[in-house]
Amino acid sequence: MATAIATPELEPAPTRIQQRSRLLPYALIAPGIAVIGGILAVPLAWLVWISFQHYGLKELINHQGEWVGLNNYRTILADPLFHQVLFRSLLFTFACVALTVALSTLIAMLLQRVRRLVRVTLMSALVFVWATPVIVSVDIWQWMFDYEFGVINYVLTQLHLGNFIHHNWFDNPLQGWSVVMVIVVWGAIPFVTITLFAGLLQVPADIVDAAHVDGAGPWQRFWHVTAPMLKPLFLIVICLSTIWDFGVFNQPYVLLNERPSADYFTIAIYSYRESFGVTQYGLGAAIAVLMVLILIVVTLFYVRETVRVAEIA
Amino acid sequence: MNLRKTWLGVIGVGVALLAAACGGNSSSGNNNNPANETGTLTIWLMNGSAPQSVVDGVNADFKAKYPNVTVNVELQQWGDIGTKLDTAFAGSAPPDVVELGNTLVAKYAAAGALEDISGKKSSFDNSSTWLQSLTDSCTVNGKLYCVPYYAGSRAIIYRTDLFAAAGITAPPTSMDQLLADGQKLMTANSSDPNFSALYFPGKYWYAALPFVWDFGGDIATQSGGKWQGTLNSSSSQQGLTTLANLVSKLSRADKTGDEAKQDAAFAQGHIAMIIANGWEVGVITDPKAGNPALATKLGAFPIPSHNAGQQAPVFLGGSDLGVAAKSAHRDLANAWIQTFTDQKNMSQMATVGGVIPNTTSLLGLGQGLNAVFYNAAKNSKFVPNSENWANVENANVIPDMLVKIFTGQQAIPDATAAASTKITSILNGGG
Repeated sequence: MATAIATPELEPAPTRIQQRSRLLPYALIAPGIAVIGGILAVPLAWLVWISFQHYGLKELINHQGEWVGLNNYRTILADPLFHQVLFRSLLFTFACVALTVALSTLIAMLLQRVRRLVRVTLMSALVFVWATPVIVSVDIWQWMFDYEFGVINYVLTQLHLGNFIHHNWFDNPLQGWSVVMVIVVWGAIPFVTITLFAGLLQVPADIVDAAHVDGAGPWQRFWHVTAPMLKPLFLIVICLSTIWDFGVFNQPYVLLNERPSADYFTIAIYSYRESFGVTQYGLGAAIAVLMVLILIVVTLFYVRETVRVAEIA
Repeated sequence: MNLRKTWLGVIGVGVALLAAACGGNSSSGNNNNPANETGTLTIWLMNGSAPQSVVDGVNADFKAKYPNVTVNVELQQWGDIGTKLDTAFAGSAPPDVVELGNTLVAKYAAAGALEDISGKKSSFDNSSTWLQSLTDSCTVNGKLYCVPYYAGSRAIIYRTDLFAAAGITAPPTSMDQLLADGQKLMTANSSDPNFSALYFPGKYWYAALPFVWDFGGDIATQSGGKWQGTLNSSSSQQGLTTLANLVSKLSRADKTGDEAKQDAAFAQGHIAMIIANGWEVGVITDPKAGNPALATKLGAFPIPSHNAGQQAPVFLGGSDLGVAAKSAHRDLANAWIQTFTDQKNMSQMATVGGVIPNTTSLLGLGQGLNAVFYNAAKNSKFVPNSENWANVENANVIPDMLVKIFTGQQAIPDATAAASTKITSILNGGG
């Protein structure tokens, strides 16, 4: 407390140049803030505003909604479909993120060990996957899993793994969701793998060697030496993957010919259906707001950990 | 991708508001000499509705009369048309003329998106003999909001060679006979694991409705201003039971798929019958996408009723042409529609396009196979004419119900009860 009182006296009065230099950082970030505010904050604020209104087609055309307070939120929270969709989205996100991170870690560690040629080939393949536009890749997957002409049914049958002629992958939602998960994880692996591979290159080889000399097995070396060093990266990729996988839209939507049944709704599709399908924009906006809130709660843990790790570093 | 869609919508509304604030207006209307009219007309036609040669002819006719008006015809896809129309009508500069599926008109008319053209009806050729059900689809609360464009009705397209090979001498004239003939075809082609006697994709609700209607059922009925879903009535269920039996015995089509690929599948040669529109004959025999060799092996017959010798009522599909209420060139837009639907161009639509024209006076143009489809249109029905009907369609209520029935996920009484409850709720203004 004593120092707090003493400090102002120790500081000389700021000169004009110092004042100007104090404003400079704010001036420099102002354009960035303005752009981010314009493309993120304004639409988000508008979204929240519309979520408190009855906003159907007539209101959309006349640009005039009708204020209904929390009615949209009440309707959604009372809708059993919302609870189903929310539970499904959370479960799907958890499974996808776990699978993505586990597979990516394994591939990243494999990349460290293989010959240069193999590594370059593998990395190129990963970048290729990453660079393919989602709609295009989902279309290709759709053909591969096609009921009549799909190569997957053909190959599985040829391999005598059962009779897959006219096997419908989307008949049973559990099986259908597995297909969606394969496609989502396939698309997510490149980014996570390349990030983790970059991280692995930063782990000092002598520490790992020292652990080896001390008698640590491969599992112990990974779990007690490598993994803790990669923790900040793990936190970031888990956090980002959670955000992306929770909001998954394109894969199930395109895969099911843009008319998915309620069994294939994610929370994003549910919001889109309510907004554009049945022209209840207020209701759709409220779902989107709830989605953002849930996402904040889910990712709060990771964000807090990331910030903590960053402070220690 | 999640929020992006929603945000896009929100941004779209924002942009629309801004545009509305600064939007201007350009010339049209107050000058009576067509040669002095200027401006640009934007026309939205649906992909595949009119052959390019017909559209080019219409634009040439229009240009001759209005040399200084530019016409841009933009083709739209059916898949996401609801979303596109919503955002376009919300903007300040929507397309001047839009082709609307006849089941969508009520929604946009009731929301004030379309110009009321009741007073201009007589300026369109053949307006006194327009097809009644298309005129009905354009009429909301007694006012006319669009011009009938064309109709489409479905019948069964079949392979005459496969019928002959299975020993079937004449097309079936009752639903029982349809099943019996189908089973003969399945037996005759039992060595082909991909063969379907009647190819019926699970979500093909337009083709399912004739079965519901034939037994006296319906989607919904209105009394005292309130709608009541009736797919769970005993007659509707009877129709769906008959259909489910046909599908399980005769079809190897995807039970969760839609009809988009049925012509390509038919062209591959493993199918004896499909329920289709008249113009699909052209797709099946298309030299690039289809199989021209089938041209001489195709026949058509109406969907038979369960009462022998009669035909089941079919869904009368089709499109109408509307003028956007916010269009800056409403008179020019109407003039373009007048040209498009005049006697000459409508005849072209029928003879070149193979669709059913908008007037009973041209129904004689249906020749050959087309005559079957023209004839089917005479015994046709329509979906509930409600501004909320489009929401029932967009919520996929009927396709989802059919998938549940065909895949056995739900028994017919449960699936129809759930669908009916939903339809009742949506038609009466609920979500």
